[in-house]
Formats: sequence, structure tokens, C-alpha cells
Amino acid sequence: MSFPKSISATLPFAAGLLIALAAGWAAFPRAIYKTVRQPVNFSHKVHAEKGGQKCDDCHSFRADGSFAGVPTLDKCAACHAVPMGTSADEKSFIDQYVTPNREPHWLVYARQPENVYFSHVTHVKVAGMKCESCHGDEGSTDSLRPYQEDRISTYSRDIWGRPAAHSLFRTAGGMKMDDCVDCHRRQGLAHSCLDCHK
Amino acid sequence: MTTTRRNLFKLAGGAAAGTILTPVPWRLITDTALLSENWPGVPQPKRGEPSVRFGNCSLCAAGCAVRARCIGGQPVSLAGVVEHPLSRGALQSALRNMRSGERCAVLDLRPGRTASWTYRRAMASIPNGTYLSASQPAAVDLAAVKTILSLGVPVLDGWGTPGNVLAARSRFRLIQAEASESRTAIMADEWLPIRPGSEAALLAGVTGGSIAEAAAQTGLTEQQIVSLERELRENGPSLVLGPNGEVSGDVLVQRREAPVPDEWKKAVPVSELDSMADGSIRVLLIDESAPGDYLPWPAIRGKLAPESVVVSFAWSKEGYGRQANFTLPTAVYPEAVDDIPPAIDCPVATFRLAAAWVAPPDGVVNPVEFIAGLAGLDAKNALQERASAIQKSGRGTIFDPAGAGKPADLWKALQNGATWIDDGEAKARAKTADDKKRSSALLEAKTADDKKRSSAPLPLAIAMAEPHTPALVSPLCSKVTYESNLRLGTHGAALHPSDAQGAGLTTGSRARLETAAGSVTVDVTVDDAVPPGVIQVGGGPDLQNVCGAALRARVVRS
Repeated sequence: MSFPKSISATLPFAAGLLIALAAGWAAFPRAIYKTVRQPVNFSHKVHAEKGGQKCDDCHSFRADGSFAGVPTLDKCAACHAVPMGTSADEKSFIDQYVTPNREPHWLVYARQPENVYFSHVTHVKVAGMKCESCHGDEGSTDSLRPYQEDRISTYSRDIWGRPAAHSLFRTAGGMKMDDCVDCHRRQGLAHSCLDCHK
Repeated sequence: MTTTRRNLFKLAGGAAAGTILTPVPWRLITDTALLSENWPGVPQPKRGEPSVRFGNCSLCAAGCAVRARCIGGQPVSLAGVVEHPLSRGALQSALRNMRSGERCAVLDLRPGRTASWTYRRAMASIPNGTYLSASQPAAVDLAAVKTILSLGVPVLDGWGTPGNVLAARSRFRLIQAEASESRTAIMADEWLPIRPGSEAALLAGVTGGSIAEAAAQTGLTEQQIVSLERELRENGPSLVLGPNGEVSGDVLVQRREAPVPDEWKKAVPVSELDSMADGSIRVLLIDESAPGDYLPWPAIRGKLAPESVVVSFAWSKEGYGRQANFTLPTAVYPEAVDDIPPAIDCPVATFRLAAAWVAPPDGVVNPVEFIAGLAGLDAKNALQERASAIQKSGRGTIFDPAGAGKPADLWKALQNGATWIDDGEAKARAKTADDKKRSSALLEAKTADDKKRSSAPLPLAIAMAEPHTPALVSPLCSKVTYESNLRLGTHGAALHPSDAQGAGLTTGSRARLETAAGSVTVDVTVDDAVPPGVIQVGGGPDLQNVCGAALRARVVRS
């Protein structure tokens, strides 16, 4: 097969361009993230629907107003001291964590880096925001999705937003500084560096 | 299409152009920047449940009570305890080679601790063992004082126990005699601007010396000095604080020491460095792990024998570590357990601990155990033994910040931040003329030294901004000392705009400060509050070495 001279002259360049675009848009976003499974196959849906629990029953505020975050094993063991059901996940949780009193190493999707100070009490109690505003439908999922960690920066994929193009085109949906600032601007709220970077 | 070198270049060019249109380069740049914030070399605080612990800070002589907020057992923030009644708010071979008359000495920068007793006991077991410390002024009963004359002492800026000083502030009138308008001078009831280096003359003038001489040296009028002397006499009890640690007045008390086990009393007595013969110390062990007032190195160097060995125990090489033959790293608060002697403004004995809340890094040395080990002494439980002796004595009361009432086990309570406070049986101290003599002698020595060693003109008079400064600045205080303009840094010097202009200096310039004792590089700050003809210097070891024994200086742009 032969191409006209002008096309065959540009074909190698076009081929290189297409290969790079395919690799950069399809392969790179998958390769940059490391996928790690959560230690326990936890169902928010079962706890909310069958257990009748609300978000703050487990993700509670302490007496001093600070946010306790992911509950410790003590809280789980209060109900799961003995198996609640016969599922394999339940048995595994009891055998691996409750009985040996070993804290599960939960991977927190929304954990901000150490140089960020985020106050849950200000956003939830003062501003009246719903948990879903930032955490989406996490509270009604039947299993915990795998945790995706950036291989270089070690940030959670949730911080940077789900779309792969976020670092080329600015996208919403993550928990980056730009997302915080955008929301504060929309609400007409004052913000300064030291609000979050103490 | 054939595979030619030209086509390969075209393919590579296309790939490069395509890559720029993908997230790859931009994401790698961003991620690499983020990695620098989070890579393994950056310390990560623990995560866990918050809790509160009580203790005492050992970074300075005040020993303030501290409430620590801990996460997962690790302290993440420190605050004062408002309710607290006080703070409100390789040598073995060298030892064998010592010649007759030569000494092995421990220089303790913060005397009065249990560690100090251990050093004294250890030195008692070593031939010619000597325990050295800076002279300790009598305690001051601030609750009784009505007038204070401060000769450049930062009374409202770190002297004594800040909480105690501020609590008593409304009851006394403060007269600050100082060359520059310091923070204390600003907050004093009266600021007397005097010539730098004339503090000792003023001290002599108001304590019975020549008023005419004091007026000539300080720049004050004779009338001012007479009325100052009258005010101190008539509006008493009064207190005079001199620039070199001298304390005189009607409110000095002889403070008892906290009880110690009887067997400890065979220790060697406390000696001052000045009392040592020149060239007499063969082995000098300097404990800088608990910083105290810095003794300029030239004063120490003169006492060392030829081929002497100097070992510094410190958590930074910024202090004597630069001159010592060996510097052994030690833990720093809050990594080490130590007790805190009462500050100058505490009229009664106290006993409290600075607890180790954070594990020290590997490889640090405990100076107490090291020096005790040289003497074959087991001092691992010295603090606990002393707590037992205190409890056995039946003296004093206990303040427990956790509010647990009187504890049955003093040692356990001390580890949780409790403070033992002796009964208030302090005896009034008789006035002595020693301080005045020492102050005058120092002034004469400085003047003679300047005249003898300096042939070039030294146009600027030196004023020390931080006269009582530890050699080392704790990492916990680095923001105040290095990253803010709150204090002149350890290499800082401030000049009046006219002097700075004359020397071609601006704020941020680097200059060479020269005195008869040597020279040092300084970071210049131009400050209206510094009088013309004066250079105000920070409290770092280099500056104290060069300026501590000199009256005048010059700066040269470097």
C-alpha cells in the first residue's frame, strides 16, 4: 500500500502523536494509581437500613467538638462482640479484628494531607452541610470500593477528583484546595490561607 | 513507508507533541511537588484519640506548668496551666592522665536540679572533681515588692516566671534604666535612657556610691539619680536588678532547697568558674541539655589546662559544641525527664518534673547517667529517690493540675504534672555589697580590655538585647527566635537609621561586628528605638563571646 507523498511524510509524526495521546489518556490514569482493598468489606447500607444507624452514630463528634472520624474497634465491638449474622465477611471481621482486639487499618478516601486543617464541626454543625455534600453517596453503598492512592504523591484519588483529566483541565468534584475555595466563593464566605493551613 | 532515521525522528516528535496534550507531564509536575510535602523524610504526627496530659516545661528557668493536648499519646499542642500557683499560666583516658593539681570539672548551666546533685556526688568520687555553676542570686519575693529598678533586665519579657511577674505587675512600680527602648522599657512605668555600659555606675550611684560619677557615666542628671535613690528608699520594699544577674533590695529571701536523701550530702560543694585558677581544668564536662545563662567561651578557655578535653552534652552544636573536643547529643524537652529548679521569683523551694512525652531519637546520651557512670555511681533512680525524701520530710503542699487532691504517691503524681511546693518559711536575706563590687569590677575589666586590645576606633556602644539568654534555642521556640521579628535572632544586631546609613547598611544586610574581643557576622535590623551611637545585639553564643567582654564595637558591611 502506498500513500501520497505528502501523507507518507506526515504519517510517522501522526503515528507518534496518536500513540502518545492513547498512552497518556488511557494507560497513564490507570497506571498512576495504586489500588488497595479495604481491610473489611463494610456495608454502610446494611448498617443504615437494617441497623437504623445515622452517620453521626459512628462518625461522631467528641465532647470538645473535634471529629472522631472513622470509629475505632471499641465502637464496632460494642455490637459485634459476637457475630451478628452468618456471613463470611462477619466471621472474618470477628476472627481477624474483634477477637484479637486488633484495630482495622481503614483507608480513608477523604483524608487530607497533614498540611491541611479541616474542621468538620464548622461545616456540619455551624454551616449545616450534609455529609453527602462532600462524601457523595458513600453512606448508602453496600460495600467499600477499593482505595486508590497516587503512586507518587500518595494522595487519595478522591482528593483529586474522579476524572483522569483533572490535572490538565480544571474539574470539580474533588477535595482540592481549589474546590474548597470555589465553594467558599459561591457561598460568599471569607477565606484566608491560615483558615486551613495553620 | 520505510523505516528511516528521518521517520524515527518524526515519530519521536509526534510522541513528544502528543505527550504535551495529555495529563502526563502536568500530573508528574504536580505529583512531584506534592511528594515533597509528604515524602518519607517529612515527620508525620500520629493519628489517634485525643487526650490531655499535665507536666512542666524545662526549656527555661521559669519551668511553667504545661497542659499538653495529645493525639495517640503524642503531644501536638502545649498551653499553660492558668490555675498553677507558680507559673500561672571519651574521657576515661583523659581522667587517668590528669596531672597533680589539675581538675575534672562539670559545668552545670542550670544548677539546682537533681542532676546537679548527681554531678556533685559524681565529682566527689573523682580525684580533684569539681562542680561548677553560675552564681545563684537570692530568690525574690515579688508579692512584697513595691518598686523595682531594672538595669536593662527584661522584667516583663521573660525574666522570672512570666505568669507570676504579670500577676504581681499591678502592685509594683517599674523603672527601667536601659539604653534602648526595649519591650520592657515600653511597658514600664518609667524609662530612663542611659548610656550603654553605664548600668553598673548607676547601680553604684543608687546604692551609696558616687552620684557625680554615676551622672557622668549614665548621662542622667545628678538630680535624677538622687530622686531615684530616694524613691527606692521611701517607696519600699524595693528591688534593684543589675545587668549581670546582680539582685539587691529589701525583698530578697534565702530559699531552702527541696530535701535530698542524707547520703547525697557527701557531695562536693558548688564552685564558681571565677574561683578556678587559670589553666587548672584538664577535663571539662559541660551539661547544656538544660540550657541556662551562657558563660562566654573566653572566660572558660582561660581556665583550661593545655591539652585539656572539653565535652559538651547538648542537643545542638550551636552552643559550646563549636569549641568542645566532643559533643554528645542529648534529648531535648519533651523527650527527656528532668526536674526544674525554682525560678528567681519563687521564694520557696519547689519540685516538679518535665516528663518525656516523646521518645528521643536513637543515639542520644543521658548526661547524668554518663557522668555518674564515670564515677561508678548509679543515678538512674535519682529523681525517684529525691521524691521519696521529699515525701518523707512531710514538708510542703502539692498542686495537682488534674485536680486529684493530695496524692498518696508523690512520685506518681509528679509524673502527671503535679508540683511540690515547700512551706513558706523563707528567711529574709541580709544585704551584701558583693554584687555591687562584682558589677564594678566587671565594668572596669571591660573598659581596660577595650583600651588594651583596640587600636581602631569603635564608634558604637554595645547594648545586649537579651542579657540572660541560654546558649541554645529550643527547636520549639524557633518560630519566635528565627522566623519572626519578635526578637533579635542569635546573630541579630539592631542599629539606629543614622548609624546604619553611615555604614551603608539596611535591614536584612549582613555585616561584620568587631569588638576588642573579636568579630562575628551579624544580620542587621534598622530600628528607630535604638539610640544613635548604640548597637543592640541578640543573645546568641557568638555575640556573647564577642560582645560580653566588650563595651564598644563597630560594624563593617560584609
